[in-house]
Amino acid sequence: MTKRIFKYTELIILLTLVGGFTAILLLFYNYFGTLQHRQLKTETAITAEAVENGGLDYLNGLKVDNTRVTWIAADGTVLFDNEADPASMNNHAERPEVEEALKDGYGESTRYSKTLTTAMYYSAKRLDNGSVVRVAESRNTVFAIALGMLLPMIWIFILLMILTWFLSSHTAKQIVEPLNNFDLDNPLENQQYPELTPFLHRIYSQQREISVQKESLDRTEKDFVTVTEHMSECLILLSVDGKILIINKQAMKLLHTDDSCIGRNILFLERRVVFQEALKKAAGGEHSELILDFAGRRFQTDISPIPGDEGNESAGMAVLMFDVTDKENAEQMRREFTANVSHELKTPLHTISGCAELLQTGAVKPDAQKKFVDTIYSQAQRMIALVEDILTISHLDEGAGDMKWEDINLMEVSNKVAAQLQQQAIAKHIALTVSGNACQIRGVPQLVDNIIYNLVDNAIKYNKENGSVNIDIRPGDEGTVLSVSDTGIGIPEKDIPRIFERFYRVDKSHSREIGGTGLGLSIVKHAAQTMQAELDVTSQPGRGTTFKVTFPSGDGGKR
Amino acid sequence: MRHVFEKELNQLNADMISMGALCENAIQTTIVYLRTPEIDRHEDILSSVDQINHKERDIENMCLKLLMQQQPVARDLRTISAALKMVSDLERIGDNADDIAEILTLQNIKAEYLDSIELIDMAKAVDLMLSDAINAFVKRDEELARKVIDEDDVIDDYFNRIKVKLAEEFKDSSKNVDALLDLFMVTKYFERIADHSVNIGRWVVFMITGTLEGNTN
Repeated sequence: MTKRIFKYTELIILLTLVGGFTAILLLFYNYFGTLQHRQLKTETAITAEAVENGGLDYLNGLKVDNTRVTWIAADGTVLFDNEADPASMNNHAERPEVEEALKDGYGESTRYSKTLTTAMYYSAKRLDNGSVVRVAESRNTVFAIALGMLLPMIWIFILLMILTWFLSSHTAKQIVEPLNNFDLDNPLENQQYPELTPFLHRIYSQQREISVQKESLDRTEKDFVTVTEHMSECLILLSVDGKILIINKQAMKLLHTDDSCIGRNILFLERRVVFQEALKKAAGGEHSELILDFAGRRFQTDISPIPGDEGNESAGMAVLMFDVTDKENAEQMRREFTANVSHELKTPLHTISGCAELLQTGAVKPDAQKKFVDTIYSQAQRMIALVEDILTISHLDEGAGDMKWEDINLMEVSNKVAAQLQQQAIAKHIALTVSGNACQIRGVPQLVDNIIYNLVDNAIKYNKENGSVNIDIRPGDEGTVLSVSDTGIGIPEKDIPRIFERFYRVDKSHSREIGGTGLGLSIVKHAAQTMQAELDVTSQPGRGTTFKVTFPSGDGGKR
Repeated sequence: MRHVFEKELNQLNADMISMGALCENAIQTTIVYLRTPEIDRHEDILSSVDQINHKERDIENMCLKLLMQQQPVARDLRTISAALKMVSDLERIGDNADDIAEILTLQNIKAEYLDSIELIDMAKAVDLMLSDAINAFVKRDEELARKVIDEDDVIDDYFNRIKVKLAEEFKDSSKNVDALLDLFMVTKYFERIADHSVNIGRWVVFMITGTLEGNTN
């Protein structure tokens, strides 16, 4: 702005200076030229008069500077000249002014010097005797005057330039300063230039529009980020050529990256060929699902095309990944459970069916029949127990939603269970005792019963002859502790983590003799979990095992 | 102009990674084939190798185009020239995988022969090396690239041990000589793959630092 103002001012000054100078020069030159002419004519007339009267004497006495006076005879011979020797001068009859004077009585002419810097004005008058008096004056030409004035003009110009520079920078500042100080955040408050008001109004309305749009965009983005950041799945949105547009925190964690990956190709993070092929399919508009392994955990990866506005054209791809390791494991467990259940149910059925067949064909002697009937009965009992256990466990699997929580006296329940199992204990010569204090807990009676029954049942089954089983109940730091200890065969350390698995047997070869369903401890674990009780096992092979169940005190168990 | 160039460079990088992944896949399939030679996987490996060769041509053309049209300097020039060299190493890795698969199709090697030698361990180490080399390229990780270069000695040790072991088994006349020869060839090809991985590591270091160390042939 300042530069522009300055440039134009300079130009104007230059034009004014040159134009004005030229015009004045020409005007004055003409005026003074006319004036000089007139004077010269008068001087010639006076000189002619004087020469007429005084002749050569007058001329010899003449003392003038700057003016040349020449007396020329009628034939052109120079009779006198005040600046040169007349003898050396050639005939002047041919000179235009002399020629004219000889002819008309008066003549004039102008001749320029070789350098064009000076001009000579000649004026000639014929005397009565026919001779001619010529007066000449020199004068600078316009060109010479202009040349002479050039230097002062340049000085004036430079001075003006400096002055203009100051003035224009000042002016420019005055114009620009309010513009620079414009508060564009509040455009309507600037009133310095009424000419700008329409623009300011426009700016104001656009600003408002932008801020409204930005706000709504921010809100949308915030909602989006909140949703994507808090979802447990990994989400990545890709452009058609595989560039990452959006990636949520879970995905960044899974792929060991950070924000810097946005805008890069997804291949920088995951390049497995199966993944690449799925991406290619998605770019072509086809959905695909695959399972990818990430550090031992399995992730189901769904890659879907995002259709664009124009219909078929794909706008990008969405990659959704979620951990299915637990799901797959659970599925695996369920499959195994089903297989185990079928196997466990089939075994007694085979026995029953075999015995029944033998009895049906009459191949069994009457005195041996009772043995077969007993076997059928005991195997049927075993199946009933098994089915009951399976029902219990599937009930537990479904959750404790419909179970009734009550205040339970652990001692009462333990005594009841001990009474139930006393017969079994006596058969193996095992001393079954209950010790401790009467403690109240809050829980599901049926589950507590299940826990104690199964633990004591196991303690008797896996005990030695003449062994002992003790149920102990006492309050602990974190709740009421129920422990069932036996003097049985114990559990090898490597098997302890697995004893709660369904159908897991430490000693697979003797399971038939001992009986049981293989689901007891699994039921205990599930029941304890349902009531948020802690389960703890300590065992010394050959010496015995202690199971400890810590029921949370007070209402802690019930949410 | 720069914007276009940058886009093309990104595409080049993505193509390189894609080619690397194909090589990894080929090696992994080869290892599976080696462990269960009774199931023919030659077709799978062949199709991988086909794709690898295709990618090599694409990348080469792209590099040459970039070199001529963009006349890159400094880092960009290093990236493109390193890419040109790396694709030929990757292509060789694909060829070696194919060579191993061809030997396995002869059906001389039985899974039980692998018990006495460390071939599977060596193959796994080579696979890891290639993955690391490609990861070093992806992440521009000089340290990882140097680790790959150092890993070469481990592979050479494997190779020598297996060679000694096979030489011993040659003396035992009851052994199948064809199988032993084939096993030796397979071992040698894995060793070659390791060498190519080392080359890739060297080119990654060159790409990052601008100095090429060692002999890459």
